[in-house]
Amino acid sequence: MVLPAAVFTAALFLLPVGILLSEGFKVGGEWTLAGYADFFSKPLNRTVFFRTLKLGLLVALVSAIVGYASAFCIVNLEPKQRGRIFGLVILPLMISPVARTYAWIVILGRTGIVNDAIVGLGLSDTPIRFLFTETAVFLGLLQLFMPLMIISLISSMENLPKDVIPAARVLGASWLQVFTRVILPLTREGLVLGGTLVFTGALTAYITPAILGGSKVLMLETLLYQKVNVSNDFVSAGIIATILIVMCFGANVVLRRIAKA
Amino acid sequence: MKRTLVAVSAALLFASTAVVAKDKLTISVYSFAQDAYKKALYEPFEEICNCDLVIETGNSVERMAKIEANAANPVIDMAVISSHDALALSRKGLLQTLDTSKLSSFDDLYEAAKNPLGDNTAVGYTFYASSIVYRSDLVDIKSWADLLKPEVAGRVALPNITGTQGPLTLHMLSKALGHEGIEFSATIDAIGEKADDIVTFYSRSSELAQLMQQEEVIAAPVGRFAWSRFSGSDLPFKWAEPAEGQTGGMNVMLMTKGNGNEELAYKFMDYWLSAEVQTRVAMAKIDSPANMKVEVPEDIADSLTYGAELINSLNMISPADIIDNRDGWVEQWNNKVIK
Repeated sequence: MVLPAAVFTAALFLLPVGILLSEGFKVGGEWTLAGYADFFSKPLNRTVFFRTLKLGLLVALVSAIVGYASAFCIVNLEPKQRGRIFGLVILPLMISPVARTYAWIVILGRTGIVNDAIVGLGLSDTPIRFLFTETAVFLGLLQLFMPLMIISLISSMENLPKDVIPAARVLGASWLQVFTRVILPLTREGLVLGGTLVFTGALTAYITPAILGGSKVLMLETLLYQKVNVSNDFVSAGIIATILIVMCFGANVVLRRIAKA
Repeated sequence: MKRTLVAVSAALLFASTAVVAKDKLTISVYSFAQDAYKKALYEPFEEICNCDLVIETGNSVERMAKIEANAANPVIDMAVISSHDALALSRKGLLQTLDTSKLSSFDDLYEAAKNPLGDNTAVGYTFYASSIVYRSDLVDIKSWADLLKPEVAGRVALPNITGTQGPLTLHMLSKALGHEGIEFSATIDAIGEKADDIVTFYSRSSELAQLMQQEEVIAAPVGRFAWSRFSGSDLPFKWAEPAEGQTGGMNVMLMTKGNGNEELAYKFMDYWLSAEVQTRVAMAKIDSPANMKVEVPEDIADSLTYGAELINSLNMISPADIIDNRDGWVEQWNNKVIK
């Protein structure tokens, strides 16, 4: 039963994608990495690459920190309350990413709620420009993908034996030791899963960086769109796509290794 | 007997198909305002020609790629596109030289629309002016150089270089800063120095309209085709008439080489260029007319690029200059402005 599905996937997905991506490894019909060397030789491309990596890592890291705190609180709630709060965590996932991202344009604008609060509290005389900055893209991506981390960690924490934390505390462990020596090792599968989902999501999301960052905060995915839809440059687009795929797989491998260590 | 019955039925089926079969014309157009186009242009033409129009939409790059990929056996008969994109297709030998004697309204077109590429492979069907939209209660714009003045720092948006409006803005800013020609290095440097004062480099006029509505941006260059997004607002938006004048561009219609459907394509182009259709399209505020005989009331004209005086005054960049220099401009822009 698996064979037809495998043939179907190979013929209609893997093969065309492989052909498309292989163009990046050819120059004048010869197999070479010159296209990648040329890509990274350009300062703009390097800036975009490191910005994408930095924002992906930051979003995953902050999601993990907030996710652990949220998941810990949620699993310790009464079942009825837990269901309600869990529903609130899932709710944003049911709303289109486009709508969620556009909401940030209003929230972070000069006349938005954030600037109203900043000016109202006297923290600044004039509104601060948040839109089309890395801060805006970071917030948009965080809001978009953090629920995935929280859900993964809730799932892991629900499987945590109920008495391990009180036992560690009775034996004199501080809360930091409880987290690093008990909770973290026992929930690492959830962290790996959530981390991979958040990091790859942040790396490959197009709408949020395009709307909140525009061309002033170019990321690899928005640069890829430019290469295809403006320059008709499918070779460069293939190179960017390959870099993104490698980064996604790399993140999963690194997270698994950290979890095993 | 059975065999005869089957043969007769098959013959009748083929005959009836032949009777109802209509000619088909495949056109490639921009995806905006398709409902309005359907009413003003497509459906009336289908009634007249007793043919079917197959409408293909998409952005310019996609549509050009499709024409190029099917050059040996064209799947698109006729297309509308910007003049510089048309020149790119023409240079690749993908367009057919037009016999303008088959376009009865040809003599009624503005001079600039008659042979915009210089090789008779396209005719202009619409013009658009570009200038600066600004908040008249907050700022006064009298020159393109005002976009870089300190009073509007942090409140200005510019079009991205990769869009149609980008090179036009560079052209006029260069002029305002005292530079001649289409060598924009100094202007790109000047924008690069002020990059932090520019809110964003927008790609779509709809995006700009939202930013101006929520007062994020108070001045930005934009095409006249988007003016209706601003003119109907409660906020006091004004269309600038800068000292250096307005810029603009033209979209053209063309025919793919060897499409085999030339007769119907000419009929459609002729119909689209006629005063009757151009008036209908202008009244619906879809496109500004290229036909000089079109007359529209003042309130409609206000939303369009209308009239010989305005069209002849536009500071356009030639399609060849755009095609020959665009890659260099984008490279400089990426290094100095986007960084």
